[in-house]
Amino acid sequence: MPNGRDRDQIGGMTRRQFLRGTAVLAGAASGLLGMPRRVDSSPAPSGTLTVSLPARIVGLDPLGPQAAEEPVRVVSAHIFDTLVAHDPLARRYLPALAVKWETPQPTTWVFTLRSDVRFHDGTPLTSRDVKASLERMIASRGPLAPLWATVEAVEAPTPTAVRIRTRSPLGTMLANLSLLAILPADRMAQPGFFDRPIGSGPFRVVSYRPDSELVLEANPAYWGPAPGVRRLRFPDIPEVAARVTALVTGEIDLTYGLPPDQVASLRSTPGVRLAATPSYRYYFVWMNFKRKPFQDRQVRQAMIYALDVDTMLTTLMKGIGRRMLAPIPSTVFGFAPQRPYPYDPRKAKQLLAQAGFPDGFATSMIWNPDSGPQDRELAQALFSYWNAVGIRVKDEQAERAQWLSRLLKLEWDLDFQTNGVLTGDADFVLRRLYTTQAHRMGYANPKLDRILAQAAETLDQNARKVLYADACAILWDDAVGIYPCELIQTYAVRTRVRGFVPTPNFPVFTRVTV
Amino acid sequence: MAPYLVRRFVATLVALGGALTIVFVVVRIVPGDPALLMVGPEGTRQDVMALRQRLGLDRPVADQYVRYLLAAARLDFGESLRLEEPAVQAVLQRVPATAQLALSATVLAVLVSFPLGILAALRHRSLVDHGVSVISLLGQSVPNFWLGIMLIVVFARTLRVLPSAGIGGVSHLILPSTTLAFLLVGVLTRLVRSGLLEVVCEDYIRSAYAKGLATVSVLTRHALPNVVIPIVTVLGLQLGQLLAGAVIVETVFAWPGVGRLLVDAISTRDYPVVQVVVLIITATFALVNLVVDLSYAYLDPRIRYL
Repeated sequence: MPNGRDRDQIGGMTRRQFLRGTAVLAGAASGLLGMPRRVDSSPAPSGTLTVSLPARIVGLDPLGPQAAEEPVRVVSAHIFDTLVAHDPLARRYLPALAVKWETPQPTTWVFTLRSDVRFHDGTPLTSRDVKASLERMIASRGPLAPLWATVEAVEAPTPTAVRIRTRSPLGTMLANLSLLAILPADRMAQPGFFDRPIGSGPFRVVSYRPDSELVLEANPAYWGPAPGVRRLRFPDIPEVAARVTALVTGEIDLTYGLPPDQVASLRSTPGVRLAATPSYRYYFVWMNFKRKPFQDRQVRQAMIYALDVDTMLTTLMKGIGRRMLAPIPSTVFGFAPQRPYPYDPRKAKQLLAQAGFPDGFATSMIWNPDSGPQDRELAQALFSYWNAVGIRVKDEQAERAQWLSRLLKLEWDLDFQTNGVLTGDADFVLRRLYTTQAHRMGYANPKLDRILAQAAETLDQNARKVLYADACAILWDDAVGIYPCELIQTYAVRTRVRGFVPTPNFPVFTRVTV
Repeated sequence: MAPYLVRRFVATLVALGGALTIVFVVVRIVPGDPALLMVGPEGTRQDVMALRQRLGLDRPVADQYVRYLLAAARLDFGESLRLEEPAVQAVLQRVPATAQLALSATVLAVLVSFPLGILAALRHRSLVDHGVSVISLLGQSVPNFWLGIMLIVVFARTLRVLPSAGIGGVSHLILPSTTLAFLLVGVLTRLVRSGLLEVVCEDYIRSAYAKGLATVSVLTRHALPNVVIPIVTVLGLQLGQLLAGAVIVETVFAWPGVGRLLVDAISTRDYPVVQVVVLIITATFALVNLVVDLSYAYLDPRIRYL
């Protein structure tokens, strides 16, 4: 089944790989196994790629309570397929398991599935599996379940047709589906299934030892282009120094999530190159609207004018962060750039005086020490800039569990943290955090509520973009939060690795060759 | 002997029950909510409530405790909140790795500290003695996360003779067990040295020398057997130190053991896993010390158990 995607891949490979392509062998082998013969000119996968992720793989269930954790998402993107694939660089959604889709009514989506897809054990993937997977995701009550809050019913009228009905139009349907892994309906509830799960993706699980190593191998019967490497290993190395050592000695081929000093040392290491990309993660500071004096917009703006963001970024983030121009990162759908607040401590003091605080005031800030790279350094810088205009901030650093429960109870003055836009869509951050109903920092603006609700229910993506531009402007001008920096994800890669393209959400290794 | 064993068994059960109760209450007193941590900062209040309900965390603690005890009596220690598997399975899966690390560290420590301690005692107040004292002081005071990283930098990164992390063959075991053994070496060397110094002044040692025995025979036949009992006692008690050290060493060297599981379980408030780990550690501690106590009879034939 030659299709446009296959042809695209050929362009990205070297002549040698192409010549080494053993399409004939692969075809003969699949013929022996009684599988449909694959007409595919991609070369046979070869070699082993070894990747150490910055956090450990807690499990292999892409629909369960750990579904939002990055390591789980990285590995499940290789083991499982989704109905549509997100191209985060082009900000487009491409056909994957679903070849086409339509919306006969704004609240009804009909997807047509490929009929040639098989799970790793050879059983066919049908609409029943899609229905079961989505229903399991909703029932899990996990972190991704709220994306599907408006789903009324999932139906499987024929083996290749899936109908999703929603109570109100769901503008993020495709973004959501790009995060929904499809699992075999009749087996995923069996005990022990996730010790060695079965998907339909480009790689299948060879072995999984929790806290130690996950080994995948190329799926010879994959419906899409064959992956570049035959084996994909994910050894777990939690300690940064050990991880960097393993990269330098060649025990691993790729890692990321490193602090700036390690990145700097790797820049001059032979055999290692760096690949950077702006990510979906960013730092922000919230001010609690339920507490004095943050109801006053002058005070909130003074807090921003007091900060020399550019100096903070060049001295502390050293290439791993860049200035944010909106309440969401520039990589995200719905981003609309605003005018940055300049560093102006005089204006900050003036605004404070107008607000009735000529001598500043005392307040406090909560944060947790696992929030992101250089968080401690950034927090210290914030304190000293604010102190310079008379705002004395007490450092209330807390362990993650304690920080989180205070955060959600609004028991804080200032909050400093990172956040990731999981879906790559503005809705994920803006509607879930800034509506009156969300009640996350006490901000209440009926106009913003209306815009965000409308954007969520609009299927026309261009219309949504306009609505999010309005939302970005409101949040920015009202100084609802302080958005100093979006994070740049830097990947450290051995030079023998070819074809790795960093993307803002998480790394994918199907195109990589060694 | 039988009545003694029965008494010890009952005492162990009481200790296990006590440890379980304490940890059950303490993990729930500590601020932080497992459901909240799982849903994450992006979740809404409704999401958290729904998850709390699904996990049974919305019931009163006393109710949860009774349910837990009833289930535990059937050897059902609950599902891990985070790992989606029985907590016992999650922990037992990681016990062999930790046991391997702890055992090899203990053996290594014994092999190193006995010769060092003997040497120091025989050359009392010499340069050698002072040197050994410095080593044992370092062993007790060097933080093992630092030592571990230094060993990685030297042996894996600079010399490239050993793997930096992970579990595998014997070569993977060398750096983590050395790191863990270093602490024990400090304690044991001091014990061997001071024990021997005490014993060498005794009459029977003088007699042994007087009847013409060589130093080696005096040491192995007469002096060391009298030093061994306190050392075995301390070894048993050091098990706790060893497991505490394993928490750090396992993280530094990516060793897939119980220590890392425990730390993760505590920070994610995975109550069932924390409870099972504490139970298993308590049981191991009790068992090892029972073995230690029983070994006295072998090491010192005068000791009898009633």
